[in-house]
Formats: sequence, C-alpha cells, structure tokens
Amino acid sequence: MKFIRIQKGFDLHAAGRPSLELQRLEAPETVAFIPKHIRFIKPRLAIKEKDSVKVGSLLFSDKHRPDLKFRSPGAGIVETVHFGSRRILEAIVIRLDSKEEDEIFSSISEAALDTMDTKDLVARIQEGGLWALIRELPFKNIPFYHGKPPGIIVTMGTKEPFEPEPSVYLRGREDLFQFGIRVLKRLTANVDVVLPSGNDAPDFLHKMATHKVSGKYPCGDAGVLLYWTKIDLNQKRTWYIHGQDVLLLARLLRDGRYPIERTVVLAGPDVKHPCHIETRMGAPLSHLAQFGTINGDHRFVVGGLFTGYPEPGNGYLSFHETAVAVLPNDKKAERFALFKPGYHKPTYSRAFISRLNPSPMTVDGRYHGEERACIGCGYCANVCPVDILPQFAFKTIIIGEMEEALKHGILDCVECGLCSHVCPSKIDLAQILKTARADLYKEMVHR
Amino acid sequence: MSTQKPLFNSLRKAFDQNGSLKRLAPLYEVLESIIVTRPRFTATAPVVRDSLDVKRYMMLVIVALLPHYGFGVYNVGCQALLASGHSPNFLRAVFIGLQAVVPIVLVVFAVGFTWEVVFAVIRRHPISEGVLVTCTLLPLTLPPTIPLWQAALGISFGIVIGKEIFGGTGRNFLNPALTGRTFLYFAYPAQISGDAVWTLLIGGKTAAVDAFSGATPLAIAGSMEKMRDVHVVLSDAGYTLTKLFFGLYPGSIGGTATFLCVIGAGFLILLGIANYRIIIGCILGLMTTAGILNMIAGPDSMPYLSLNPLYHLVMGGSMFAFAYMATDPVSSCHMQGARWVFGFFIGGLTVLIRVFNPAFPEGVGLAVLFMNIFAPLLDEIEIKMRLKRRVSNV
Repeated sequence: MKFIRIQKGFDLHAAGRPSLELQRLEAPETVAFIPKHIRFIKPRLAIKEKDSVKVGSLLFSDKHRPDLKFRSPGAGIVETVHFGSRRILEAIVIRLDSKEEDEIFSSISEAALDTMDTKDLVARIQEGGLWALIRELPFKNIPFYHGKPPGIIVTMGTKEPFEPEPSVYLRGREDLFQFGIRVLKRLTANVDVVLPSGNDAPDFLHKMATHKVSGKYPCGDAGVLLYWTKIDLNQKRTWYIHGQDVLLLARLLRDGRYPIERTVVLAGPDVKHPCHIETRMGAPLSHLAQFGTINGDHRFVVGGLFTGYPEPGNGYLSFHETAVAVLPNDKKAERFALFKPGYHKPTYSRAFISRLNPSPMTVDGRYHGEERACIGCGYCANVCPVDILPQFAFKTIIIGEMEEALKHGILDCVECGLCSHVCPSKIDLAQILKTARADLYKEMVHR
Repeated sequence: MSTQKPLFNSLRKAFDQNGSLKRLAPLYEVLESIIVTRPRFTATAPVVRDSLDVKRYMMLVIVALLPHYGFGVYNVGCQALLASGHSPNFLRAVFIGLQAVVPIVLVVFAVGFTWEVVFAVIRRHPISEGVLVTCTLLPLTLPPTIPLWQAALGISFGIVIGKEIFGGTGRNFLNPALTGRTFLYFAYPAQISGDAVWTLLIGGKTAAVDAFSGATPLAIAGSMEKMRDVHVVLSDAGYTLTKLFFGLYPGSIGGTATFLCVIGAGFLILLGIANYRIIIGCILGLMTTAGILNMIAGPDSMPYLSLNPLYHLVMGGSMFAFAYMATDPVSSCHMQGARWVFGFFIGGLTVLIRVFNPAFPEGVGLAVLFMNIFAPLLDEIEIKMRLKRRVSNV
C-alpha cells in the first residue's frame, strides 16, 4: 500500500454533515432517468410515452455508439419523456407499478469469471447498461473499449463535505464488492483502490486499498491521484469508477438483474437529520426530502457541493449522483454585510473573523458578490490540487490559445470546482476549464 | 429597516432595463451594494461560493489606510503650527489638519468617482471597488499644500490613463494611484518638490519661522556637502531614527508614519490581502542595496552612500509604498516566486534612485511603477519554468 499526501485543496466546514445512520425508504411513485447529466452522449430513444417497461428494459442507446445502452431504473409505464430546448432529451419519467418485474440478464458464477473472455465480459456490462459507470481520464468520458486500459482507479470518496461513506454503503456487501473488484481485475491488472484517510472504512477495505491519500478535498479523486502518481504518458487514459458503482456492476454480473439500489446522502444546513438513505436510482428529490424533514424554502443540489448542479424540487436523482444537498434559499438581501466581521461566514480567505470560529457554518448557493475582472489574488492556484494556475489558464482559453492552455495542463483538471469556489472576483473558472476540455474531447472524437 | 426596502424598490425601478435612468445603472448598483447585498444564486458547479468578494477585499485595504488619515491630519496641523511659530496643541492641530486634508480628499473622491462612473456608463461595465482604494491612496501621497486643481488632475490621470483606458480594475498594469502621483510630480515639480511644499503655513504667513526647517530628510540627505557624516547632519536637523519611524515631520499627508505602515502591512498580511513576499522582498532589497552602497562608500564618495540601511527604510514614503502600493495585487506579480524578485527589485531601485539621482529625492514611487512594467515578464519567466516541470498530458 502506498501513502500519498496531497498538499493542496480545501476543506469546507459546512454545517449539516450526514451521520452514518442508514434510513430505508419505501418505493416512490415515480422514478426517472436523466440523460442530460451524462456527458458526451446523444440518446436515441428505444421507448415512447405510455410504453410499459420492466426494471432493466432498454430506454435509449447512444446514436454514435450503439453498444452504449441505458436501462430503466423501474418497472411500470413511461409517463412522460421530457425534451428541452433543441430537443435535448432531459428526462424519462416512469410511473412504477406494484409488481415491478425484472428483466433477466445472464449471471456469471465466481468460477466462470476467471476463465471468461474479457471481450465477452465487456459486452455483458455494456449490454447490461452499466458501462457508463466507468469513466476515462482525462476527459471523464465513457470509455471506448480498445483492449486493456492502462489502469482502473476505484475511488472511495474525495472528502467532499457531503458524500456517502464507504462504511455505510459497503455494510453487509463485502462479497459483492470483492466480486466487483474481481470483475475490474479481469479488465486490467492494475486496479487501484484509493481510500482517503480519515474515512471511516470497514477493515476489509483497509486491506484491499492500494493507495491511502491524506489531505483536503478533493484528495481521493482519481484525477488527483493520477496526477501525483503518473510515471508514464500511457497512463493518461486511466479509467475510474466510484466505489458504490462497483457494487452495481457486481450485482448485474453476479445476480443477473439490473441493479437499482443506491445509498444516497441527504445533507445540508436545512436538513433536520442529515443521514444516509437507502433508496433507488432515479428517485424523486421530493421523495427524499419528505423524509428529511426540511425547514422552509430550500434549494436542492444534486451531486455534491463542489461538483453538483442545482435542481428544482420536482427533479430526480441522476444516474451517477449519490449526494443531495439541501441549501437555504434565502432571497432576503443582506444589509451592511460589507462592514460586518462575519463570524458565521464560511471562507477560504482570512478576510472574515470566521477563521476563528471552529464550528461548522451554514453554506448557501449564493455568489456572495458580483463578477469582476481577475485581480490576481492567486487563491485559485493555492487550492488547485493538480497545480494548474487557473488565473492564467482561463485567460489562455478565453483568447483561444488552446496550445498554451494545454501547456498549462488543463487536461489534468479534475473539475473539482475549488477555483471557482474561492475566487473573490466570482469568475466561473471551473466552468471555463470544463467547457474547454469538453470542446477538446469533441474535437478528438469527431476527428 | 422597513423604510429602506420600499425606497430601494422604487429607486431600482428607475434604473432597471426599462427605467428612465437605465444608463446610470452602474452608479445605482454600487450605491445600493454598499448598503444591501442582493442575493444572486449560482446556476453552475460549484454551487457553493466563498463569502469573500472583491468589495470586501478592497474595503479592507481602505480600513488599513484609515489610521494614516488620522495621523496625517494631526501631522499636517502639527507641522503647520510649528512652522508658523506656535506650539502644537492637539485639538488645534487636528482642526488645521482637517481644513487642509478634507478638501483634498473630497476633490479626489469626487473627481475620481466621476471618471469611474463616466467610464462605467459608457463602456457598460460595473463600477469597480478599485477606484475607492485609488482615491484613498492618492491624497496620502500628496503634500498638504497641493492646489486642489492639481489633486483633481492627478486623480484624473491616475484613473483614466492608469486604469480605465486599459479596461478598468484588473486590467491595468500600473498602480493607478502612483500613476497619478508621478504624473503630478513630472508635470508640476514646483508644487510637489522642494522644501517649502511639505508644510502648510497658517495665519497668512508666507515663510516658515526661522527655527523651523521644512526640509524633508530625503532632501537633506540628497543635497548635503561632502566630508560630513550623513547621520550627524540628519540628527542635527532633528531627524533621528525614532523620529523618522514615528513620522512626525514634514512630508506627504500620510506617507511619513512608518510605524503605521508596519501595523497596516501586518494587518493586511494577517488577513491575506497583501502578499508578505512582496513586502519582505522590498525590505530585503532595500537593506541589501543600501548595505552594498555602505560597503563601497569611501571617505570621499557621496555621504549618502554611507547612510545606514535602516534610515532608508524609515525615511520618506518607502514603507508606505511597500505596504500599500507594491502589494496592489493587480499590478504586481501574480506568481509567488516572481513576487520575491519583484519586491527585491523595488527595494533596490528605491535606494539607487534616491542616492544616485539628485533630481528625484524620493525613488520609491518610480521604483514601483518601473517594476509594475516588469511584473508580467517576471510572471512569464516563472510560469515557463513551472510548466516545464509538468508531466505532459497531451
């Protein structure tokens, strides 16, 4: 096992951290699949409204990659298919019936796994609709299978304030996780299990971990690990998968059914009892919230405080996300905020007296200021876990100097969002870098 | 509280998109934002943003500068009383000081803010907080006797040429306050250099009383005859190290109090606003250069060469410029290593200009502006070096 210390990063002391308690929820009335949050895909629908589907029925596949399939997280009737502007497929909502039948997939026994052909294994994951759980660095796209990848990194958390703890979602699922890791080992010999230190992980995971990383958010991220351990250029196309997704993969291949269970974190300053929730893929946010007993007006953020996106209250969990944060939606204007010492203002800087406040603080989804030109404070470069200089890199992108931007290492960007978070000029640095990276990817694929 | 809301709501209407005063929206927004911060919600990741914004960043600089105004007001009055042959009385000194300083500040703020509003309205960008810092800094660097129209001209040059023609705060490469100050220095040397301008005279007097010397320590050290010890000459004129440190002597309105600069620099470093690398780099550069000059000073060289480096640090406005001008994040270097070099050269150049150029008694302003021009180059060198170390990912 290797111990790695990541020097940079930032820990946000946000109030409302989830407890390790696990609550079970009964089935919701509807579930949904949200294609718009899966990057770089072009869905081709296989169903239409009023069709009846089983758990694991094909919903859509990718137009350019027909073997990339996405399957239904519930059984019942397709209630609505939402299209956004320019007919972007936004959501497929399924009204669940009481029986909930499963689509049957062929299962693989433990013994058969070791002798099986790798291509066959890949085909089964793709056919089972879970290939999208694996992502490829540096673009975080869904990988193309051209033989062995240089490595697979299994991430067990990034120290993001609200994210599911492995000790909760692995509880009683040791065998399943071991099976999943064996599946990944069939794809490539180099499977790294990355455990952030201070993570309350079960013993078997401590034994399995190949890397222990200490540091601040996002120290456990696959891209961060790769940046600090990369010795060879070939490794840049390393794949990664989240720990919880390994369980889904194992469930599909071992038990022969499309897995829908998800352990989700419901947390934030507006949640009365922030905790882990055992629910299912594509669960409606209102369903989770009704359990969470939330006070007043609020905003949902799906997928972590730094990487997630805001979602209206009638939204759903998307395919990859396992965290829901609930933030206050206080529309009141703040008075004389400029002249207050700010004992309760969470901040990276030292410009508020809250640096002396040890207790966790309420975070919200406001900008806390207006957009200004970059003043060169350098906070972004101080927190960037992969040593990018965002304050210079974003300018090279804006003026269109892609070569220069690549030299600045924008391909190493892990999209952790810290640069935008700390920026006092409120520049969307992370978004600018992300868009540039996405453009590069599209250029690369369509060449 | 309850009266503010309808007031703002009705005012806001006039300035919004269909309002009659929509062109002046930046002006309204800046005035409103001082009192209330309107919530603006994030739409993209990361949803959570830091509480710090540029407004607070700049406001803290102004907070650090306020003690200089307090001191400056007293010092101006105090020197005026001494020069006119009165004994300094605290209240009277403050009163006289206020009479001299307040008009300058008002004119500088009015003119500076007007230029900012004009540019913001025409170029449709928001009014940046940087203008407030510039307007706060400039009066502190001026002599109390400056004609008000010159103060107005100085701030106009600083804001327009130093900043706005490049696109406003964040895009300027020179420190706007220093640009304005230096413009005045070269355009109107009679009103901003020499021995007479640094002291206000009261009661209709046209010359200081005989016992009072208005000469600044920099002028004394720069123009003394050879074969005398510079320290003796300075202390004969009343300039001991302690006096220089506390700053109660004729000079610019707020730049003489080295002890306040040290406190202000400490405050800004503690709060993470000013970069300690620049300030310490400046001090190191100044000490090293002055130390080297000490070493090469022979018995018949200029006596200025043998001036103790500590004197260089406490004399004139060097510490003021190190703490508040060199650390301007926009016009200084942006890379940590380059900041050391940037500071070191400012310190070094300050001494060199002071000692070897009799036309410029004070060199620190020119040194900062000179290094401002070199800052992007220093950054570029460090970035090149740093990017070379990256493992390529292309």
